[in-house]
Amino acid sequence: MTNTHPTLSRLLATLGLAVGTGGGCMDFGDAEEPLALQTHVDDWRDEVIYQVLVDRFANGDVSNDFGVRYDDLARYQGGDWRGLRQRLDYLQQLGVTTLWISPIIRNVETDANVDGYHGYWAQDLTQLNAHFGDITELRALVDDAHARDMKIVVDIVTNHVGQAFYYDLNLNGAPDINFQGNGSPMNPTRHYTEYDPDFDPRGVQAFTSLGEAGPAPIVFQYDPATGHIPPNPALLRDPAAYNRKGRTYDFDDPDQLLHGDFPGGLKDLDTSRCDVKQLLVDVFVTWVEQTDIDGFRIDTVKHVEYAFWRFFTQRVRARLAERGKHNFLMFGEVFDGRDALLGSFTRHDILGTGDLAAALGRPGPVDPSDEEQLAAEAECVTDGVPLRGDQLDSVFYFSQHFQAVRDVFQQSQSTDRIEALWTARATNWGDTPNEDGIGVAPRDMPINFLDNHDVPRFLYNVRDRDAQTQRKLLHNAIALQFTAQGVPCIYYGTEQGLAGGNDPANRERLWDTGFDVTHPTFAWVQKLAGLRAKYRSLRRGGLQVLWSTTAVADEADAGIFAFERLGGDGGGSYAVVVFNTNATKASTTRTETRDMVVTAPAGTVLVDVLGGGGDAVTVGDGGVLEVTVPALSAMVLVPQAEVD
Amino acid sequence: MPPQHRLRLAALAPALALAITLHAGLAHAEPDTATEPVATEPTPPVEPTPPSTGDDERARTEALERRVEALEAELKRLAEASAKSDAQTPRAAKPAQSAPTPKSTRTRAPQASSGDSSDNRTPDYAEGFHFGSYGRVVAGGDHRGRAGRDGDIVSFGSRLDESNYAELELRREDYWEETDSYTRIVATAAVANPMFHYSGVFAAKLAMRNLYIEESGLGAKHLKVWAGSRMYRGDDIYVLNFWPLDNLNTLGGGLSYEFIPNLVLKLHTGVNQPDNGLFGQDVARPRPLGQIGSQNVRITDRQKSISSIKLSHIFAVGKQGGIKPVVYGELHYMPKAQRERETQQYESLPDDVGFLVGTQLGLFTGKRSTHLNLVFRYAGGLAAYGEFNAPSRLAPDRTSKGAREIIGALSGNYEVGPFGLLLGSYVRSFRNASPGLDVDDLGEGIVLVRPTVWFGKIAGLSLEGSYQAQRRGVLLRQPDGSNKPQFGQLGRIGLVPFLTPAGRGNYARPHIRVLYLLTMRDAGARRLYPADDIYAIRKVDHFFGLGAEWWFGSTSYFRD
Repeated sequence: MTNTHPTLSRLLATLGLAVGTGGGCMDFGDAEEPLALQTHVDDWRDEVIYQVLVDRFANGDVSNDFGVRYDDLARYQGGDWRGLRQRLDYLQQLGVTTLWISPIIRNVETDANVDGYHGYWAQDLTQLNAHFGDITELRALVDDAHARDMKIVVDIVTNHVGQAFYYDLNLNGAPDINFQGNGSPMNPTRHYTEYDPDFDPRGVQAFTSLGEAGPAPIVFQYDPATGHIPPNPALLRDPAAYNRKGRTYDFDDPDQLLHGDFPGGLKDLDTSRCDVKQLLVDVFVTWVEQTDIDGFRIDTVKHVEYAFWRFFTQRVRARLAERGKHNFLMFGEVFDGRDALLGSFTRHDILGTGDLAAALGRPGPVDPSDEEQLAAEAECVTDGVPLRGDQLDSVFYFSQHFQAVRDVFQQSQSTDRIEALWTARATNWGDTPNEDGIGVAPRDMPINFLDNHDVPRFLYNVRDRDAQTQRKLLHNAIALQFTAQGVPCIYYGTEQGLAGGNDPANRERLWDTGFDVTHPTFAWVQKLAGLRAKYRSLRRGGLQVLWSTTAVADEADAGIFAFERLGGDGGGSYAVVVFNTNATKASTTRTETRDMVVTAPAGTVLVDVLGGGGDAVTVGDGGVLEVTVPALSAMVLVPQAEVD
Repeated sequence: MPPQHRLRLAALAPALALAITLHAGLAHAEPDTATEPVATEPTPPVEPTPPSTGDDERARTEALERRVEALEAELKRLAEASAKSDAQTPRAAKPAQSAPTPKSTRTRAPQASSGDSSDNRTPDYAEGFHFGSYGRVVAGGDHRGRAGRDGDIVSFGSRLDESNYAELELRREDYWEETDSYTRIVATAAVANPMFHYSGVFAAKLAMRNLYIEESGLGAKHLKVWAGSRMYRGDDIYVLNFWPLDNLNTLGGGLSYEFIPNLVLKLHTGVNQPDNGLFGQDVARPRPLGQIGSQNVRITDRQKSISSIKLSHIFAVGKQGGIKPVVYGELHYMPKAQRERETQQYESLPDDVGFLVGTQLGLFTGKRSTHLNLVFRYAGGLAAYGEFNAPSRLAPDRTSKGAREIIGALSGNYEVGPFGLLLGSYVRSFRNASPGLDVDDLGEGIVLVRPTVWFGKIAGLSLEGSYQAQRRGVLLRQPDGSNKPQFGQLGRIGLVPFLTPAGRGNYARPHIRVLYLLTMRDAGARRLYPADDIYAIRKVDHFFGLGAEWWFGSTSYFRD
């Protein structure tokens, strides 16, 4: 109320009625004041990340339970930021240090009888999702977390928005879901939906019974009750801000991957446009400025051009550095089993569409030279700071999810698959920390996860085993997650033994478990988090594989996988980790032709701090270490000196 | 009103009780209301000369004395009327009411074009709470057991087969000694079909037909000022349930001033908002401040303002008779607006205007409600559609320019001995604003007569005959290849035996009655209904009913 007369303004303020000059008698905490951003993280490798689907974690405020339906996991369930804040003790007790929370912004409310509870259907990038709370609640969550030396990472989406518009394929001005054609060769039957038509490289085309009729008009939906309203900010209401090519169905086609709508009618932004790039930087940096959060988890990374990631990550880091915030983590989801593709988003090479096509195994264009690409991208630069090759700080280790967690730890395939994967990471992933990034090379900090909201839970995939075996399998995989190089990321509910299948069955209400801190898996995670906190080698140390095998049957070393954590930034800390992934027998780190040789000198007494196989072993002559590990278990061996 | 400001007349109670008893006995047979029957009525009496406004006790005493004198005069008049009435129609004694009636000190001409008896007088001011009502309830159906239904093809036809309706009026009236003025607060609730005992649904279709305050004599002795929600209208044609000259329903206010006795000027202005997208449009918008869900926003929100002026005078003819000429006008206006055609795509709606001019000539004998009324009116533009209707079939500029309505009406009542004759008729021509003719353009007319014979003083028999016809602006192919406009005709004959505790008189109520109505439609009349409608099929229809109709003590038939 800048136009208010000063005397009147003072009077109103006295009465608690002033608008725009303060809350009067209303207490918003510190949410009215601009935040002084701070750096809350020393080394992200020290963190244990816990993925929270906010709607499903805890319901702390029933007053925002708009339209919840407990009988349908595809609809809102009532979880919110206050509920999460009320359960920070639980998470801290578990050993969690960082919370990755689902997207915070306003979403399309409901589409096709599914709610936007997950947060990936953006409608207004400038508004918070009122189902979860308001800015006061979000700030309180971040503040409370920081007070416990916990960090908050927020999920964001730059590839697409929600179901913003439909393609008026038949030019009738109304959204249709229809069949057309009589099945004859000249007029084949086709099923189409104007909300989500198939990809067309020319752009989605309108057609009538007489044939094609040019580009299909874009019609922004307007149904406030379901939240189908034109997106915000205003640029997102311009059809030109979108690629308008329809739904991706071939994820290995670079054009479809980059320019197709995400299945479900999620409209693909034209992230090659300078205004779109700048908008996304602006809106998401603003949320950092509003909340002092510590990082972004970024959705659907492989659906966006490398050039965008260069611009986005570098501009976000620069903007935040100006505000005094450093070490801001940006890691992404590249939902793909190809490690080279994952790593490509962390490399500093000036990659282009041709490189993407090569990673996808498809023919593609010949990319311009690095200089030419950067020159083209510089058109979007307004602050004069040239773009470099820097991209994301890390990505989810999806290749490990498939090749190690699934193949080896669930399906008992040979452990040499893990070694091969880890070895490849050294060359596939970026080897240089990003400028003003987190200070760690991406290859040294993969985000290790067993499962998440997009895949069945670990226990679902081993549901055909007996309960005891299921738990052993899970615990062994968790041990890998916490001891491998990188940062562990636990999907909420794993600690309570949730076992849901595909979406939305894997998005259970956690409060139904009663937040049981005596659950065996809770205790297991708690123990591993404690070991990780205690032994620096497990967090920051380098990694060297000691043993892997092709043996999967009755061989002496069948299922053995061992590595040691040493060097790197681990200081003098040292650990040897040995897994037996074989489900039927104990295995050992020795065969008739081979011994396991560790870096620790002969005579070093190593203590199994995980308690999986024995109390202590001594490194033999020549560094030979022979241990026998029971089926489906692991050992974490650290020097006696460190234990004490 | 603070109690200390109220005039106390406890000392006059016996005289007042007698006066009210007599008055109540006369007033219970008064005509009715809203969409309801009203014969032309006498104007209300002018209030007594105001007392001086000083604070001294002497002035108060003088004011009281003047009121007592006025009350005594009223008492005498009522006693005479009662004696005369008793000679004709015995009446049941009524309980005493509370307050006297203010009377004008002016010499007055005969009071109305049709009212020659106090049966049809409007209620006078009397302190306290009062109740009045109009109602009709009928149980009936056709000869095949179907429910009764209005069978007229013209806009205003026979009221014999109209459905259930009642008004319940509660009124508060006060005299203010401090200002020598009167206040009347009127609340009229109306219920319409279906009745609970018919449908079994415990609900009522309810409307407030009046909710206003009228001040009389405040600041100027012959000035009346009112504001609120009001049925505001003049003389009706009872048998057609039709107010041919003026019949407005608005929220607003008005005033009337009597320059000389029976020369009254009335001004009124008010607004309404017909329930139509041309006046109001609600669209859903996201809730503000980032909240979930939607709420309605009123994009179009314009009102129709209606102003009226009416000047009437009664010229005395003989001792009781008179001539009542009326000139009348209305001005209708609605401002420009905008509405949403597609989502967040707007279009402008132009402002619109209309006018109405009309005149009425009433002749009355002052005896037994015998009168003849002749009405002519012309309405153009927005006014042609009526005050409650939204204009439709607009002109190319989306206004009602070019629409017009012309009405000529003749009505009357004649009673002699045990015989009576009611007449209702009108012709109406309507053209909407769209160029050329269409189905909504019409010409129509009706002639209805209702002769009655009374058997003694407690019963009677009415016959009713009517002819009605309507022409619409659409052409129909004829067998000879020519095209002729749609034209329908309908004839009705009714037979109504009734009991009348109030005695003789076409405007005496209540009635308990049996109804029979024969309706004959020609092919043109049947064409007005959609296929499979029973009226599209039947050439002849029979309606039987048993019902009641009453009116008493309601302001709805006031003429001010």
